[in-house]
Amino acid sequence: MAEQMTSDYLVIGSGIIGSLAARKLALAGASVLILEAGPRVTRGEIVSRFRNSTRRSDLMSPYPSVPTAPHPIYQPTDSGYLVQAGPYPYPAEYIRQFGGTTWHWAAQAWRNVPNDFRLHSLYGVGVDWPISYDELEPYYQEAEEIMGVSGADNTGSPRKQPFPMEPVIEAYAMRRVRERLAPEYKVVSNTTARNSVSYGGRPACCGNNNCQPICPVDAQYHGGIAALQAEAAGVTIRVNANVYQLEHDAQGRIVAALYYDADKNSHRVTAKTFILAANGIESPRLLLLSASSKYPKGLANSNDMVGRHLMDHPSTSLTFDADEDLWLGRGPQSPSSIGTMRDGAFRGTHAAYRLDFTNISRVDGATRDLISRGVYGEEFERQLRFSSAREMSLKTVLEVLPNPDNRITLSSEKDSMGIPKPQAHYSIGDYTRLGHQRAQKDFAAVARLMGGTNLRPSKEGAYANNQHICGTLSMGRDAAVSVCNEWGRAHEHANLFFCSTGVLPTCGTCNSTENGVALALRTVDHILAEQGIKPAPAPVASAGARV
Amino acid sequence: MSARMSWRRVLIFAGLTLLASQVNAAGAANVANAAQIERGRYLATAGDCIACHSVAGGKPMAGGLAVATPIGAIIASNITPSKSHGIGNYSLAQFSQAVRHGVRADGAHLYPAMPYTAYARVTDDDMAAMYAWFMHGVAPVDAAPAQTTRLPFPFNIRLSMMAWNWLFLDKQPFVADPARSVEWNRGAYLVQGLGHCGTCHTPRNALMGEQASKQLGGANLGTWSAPNITSDVNSGVGSWSQQELAAYLRTGRSAQRGQAAGPMAEAIDHSLRHLSEADLNAIALYVKSVPALRDPNDSKPVTQWGQAGDKLAELRGVPLPKDLNRMSGAQLYDANCASCHQAKGQGSFDGSLPPLFHNSTTGRSNTNNLVMAMLDGVQRQGAGVGNADGYLMPAFRQTLSSEQIVSLGNYVQQLYGNPAGKVTLEQVTILRQGGAPSDLIGLVRGSLIVAGLALLLLILWWRRKED
Repeated sequence: MAEQMTSDYLVIGSGIIGSLAARKLALAGASVLILEAGPRVTRGEIVSRFRNSTRRSDLMSPYPSVPTAPHPIYQPTDSGYLVQAGPYPYPAEYIRQFGGTTWHWAAQAWRNVPNDFRLHSLYGVGVDWPISYDELEPYYQEAEEIMGVSGADNTGSPRKQPFPMEPVIEAYAMRRVRERLAPEYKVVSNTTARNSVSYGGRPACCGNNNCQPICPVDAQYHGGIAALQAEAAGVTIRVNANVYQLEHDAQGRIVAALYYDADKNSHRVTAKTFILAANGIESPRLLLLSASSKYPKGLANSNDMVGRHLMDHPSTSLTFDADEDLWLGRGPQSPSSIGTMRDGAFRGTHAAYRLDFTNISRVDGATRDLISRGVYGEEFERQLRFSSAREMSLKTVLEVLPNPDNRITLSSEKDSMGIPKPQAHYSIGDYTRLGHQRAQKDFAAVARLMGGTNLRPSKEGAYANNQHICGTLSMGRDAAVSVCNEWGRAHEHANLFFCSTGVLPTCGTCNSTENGVALALRTVDHILAEQGIKPAPAPVASAGARV
Repeated sequence: MSARMSWRRVLIFAGLTLLASQVNAAGAANVANAAQIERGRYLATAGDCIACHSVAGGKPMAGGLAVATPIGAIIASNITPSKSHGIGNYSLAQFSQAVRHGVRADGAHLYPAMPYTAYARVTDDDMAAMYAWFMHGVAPVDAAPAQTTRLPFPFNIRLSMMAWNWLFLDKQPFVADPARSVEWNRGAYLVQGLGHCGTCHTPRNALMGEQASKQLGGANLGTWSAPNITSDVNSGVGSWSQQELAAYLRTGRSAQRGQAAGPMAEAIDHSLRHLSEADLNAIALYVKSVPALRDPNDSKPVTQWGQAGDKLAELRGVPLPKDLNRMSGAQLYDANCASCHQAKGQGSFDGSLPPLFHNSTTGRSNTNNLVMAMLDGVQRQGAGVGNADGYLMPAFRQTLSSEQIVSLGNYVQQLYGNPAGKVTLEQVTILRQGGAPSDLIGLVRGSLIVAGLALLLLILWWRRKED
């Protein structure tokens, strides 16, 4: 075994959540090491790959998987890394590289609504969170000030402090949708970590309209920025360090992480406190991989809860041609939504949902469609112009209930490093299907109000995935059915914490990242308080260097 | 100006200045009136006092900024009217002595990071107005800056500045040239005095004195470079109209000319954009009359180099090299620049994202400003185009390697700029580290070791030779 390293805090994963947790620890004076499985990447090379790609709508095309830390790839063919056990496919996409998966998010930085924390008490379904909205509120704010978040002030998530900036200017298409849907529907600006002004040393959004797969100017906050900020705060990030096992002592305390470097040499790193921040699939995978004679089912897993309660946000959609020119594609890709179905008594019977409007330019998709149908010449031009101007689309972002049968396990297959692959067991429950059915009313109403023709709903029974991986490390008061407590501390291992969207006990109707970041910042506060350290006041990320 | 003046004139004017200060000290007993205070505020803005005497987010004039100089960081002092920590106890005469002659009330000498050699041109009347504003218009801050100035020997001995002043300080206030227009004289007064343009734009000699014969001829500031702004058509601003120049001073950019960044962006944001149209026009008129100096590399105006172009054909379908330090300039441009400056370097339709050709940053053979813009971006405060405050261009210091900046910089110069301008690894390495270390400390120390007194004789001999 090569070289031994040590550090006060060892964070596994350099994504947005791990990096911001590490940064907060470092700002309080701690020595922090991040082990990142994948390689170091920079925005420039990703932009370069995106521009050179022939598959621009494939969000993963600028993020090739590397053999030393593979991640799922589905186009042009499924690489088979995330093994599907069914019954319903769960083709999660994520990025194992410096900065993690939010390189290609659309910067949706939503808070839950307060009732999301009391789903079981109020509606008799799912579980309650071990904390309330009010307890998390200051950490939402902290996350929003770091990331530079803006949004409408009427989305059902009360706030004590204003957003750090105004929303990005409303895209023309979204303005028309908002105007034409009023008063029947209230269309609001999404809450996003996208600069409307220069903030944190990054420029304002100028409407490149490729937030996904990569914002070319870093107007959008992402994990790559978080990782650089962590480094600026004094965190050491070791890339190409693919952790394959955690070691424990006789008392069950974690003592070391073992990782493979790019040449598959093994290294051992010791630390006092371990923070697992390797997303909702790789984190449970690592716990399961670390099975020992004392913990035969894997770490933190005596109750067999690790990897269970896998949730995401399935989407169904409607595409149609509006009766006026909208020209989608100006401004950011996903700027507006309808939030009226995020909460209500109906949650006792069917899924809550958000209705999200896309603002992605239709030119690429329409061109492919026309070519595939053999349209050419003047007719091609006419139809391309029509579709690019008129086509619009909205989708549901449906809630999923925690179900122990939806889970991540270890596959019998091995990956390119000889490590068992993760395996997904997934299904779409009736609760979610009923939510989709209820949403048909909204789809029809929106189409009617926009003068829609040529209605093209997504295939019945088909649910697109949104890569909001939750639940696999659920926090809860009941140690029998959860993996960690309200502070993200593993029930069974006093010095092992989870900073990940995996800890979310329910998924609500909003993208999971901001919940994960806020919970992680709260976890770090708790860790520091236990050490008698007051966290350093977070430096305001105003115009200035990235610190 | 100053350095060419004879010693006799220095003595005469020193006497006159002393007399004038005394006269004004008597007048200071009068209560300052609102109009005078307001005029003082305007003049202090023209002098850009706040640029150094405040820190970002700090209280105005409370000091604390570390001003980088070749001999080390000089910490700007608290110049609020605080009686305990500022200049609240200063009389007008003491205030004038500090601002114009670089001597504090306690007799200690200021370092010429404070541009008192320029402020020496300010009239007594304007001094009195600024004094009124500082005493009545600035909120006192009863706190010292967090850091204090700590310079290496011999510069830690403030008395060493006495010798420097003997050489480089001309205490004569501005004298109007009756042969020139009122507007020209106003411009000259502002440029030479409060505007202290020469502090950056006039090259300095080995002992950091401004070289009068090369007024506004351009100077390297360690990292950023202050360009030649003489009336030369190719190297300076001779091809700019007076209106274009005045507009640039107000907004920090001029279509098909260039844009302010680094210290010039600060000067515009804190000072120039707040000046009246009449004053900006006067400054422009005067600057365009400054004797032309030409860099022989500038065979045409620095704003006329380059044209739209791309090398997309070379990079589409070609995978990136495994070692990203070997990415071509075209690949790096595509990856990092094209989103804003566009595929052919043409910028945005309205010029708010500037073109890279016909741009004085790429039109010069000195590429320091191009490299600095890539390293640190372009930051504006409170004056951004379309309220786009903050970073108009992001910094690439953390994400581009020095090797990549060399490839990218040379690509931009070759395709869009003056091909004589080269970017080298040594240059980028030095600029990344904050500029080349000065040999001034070694020079002065060495001289001291060889012979303490001989230094002074040497200087005197050298000074006489300059005359």
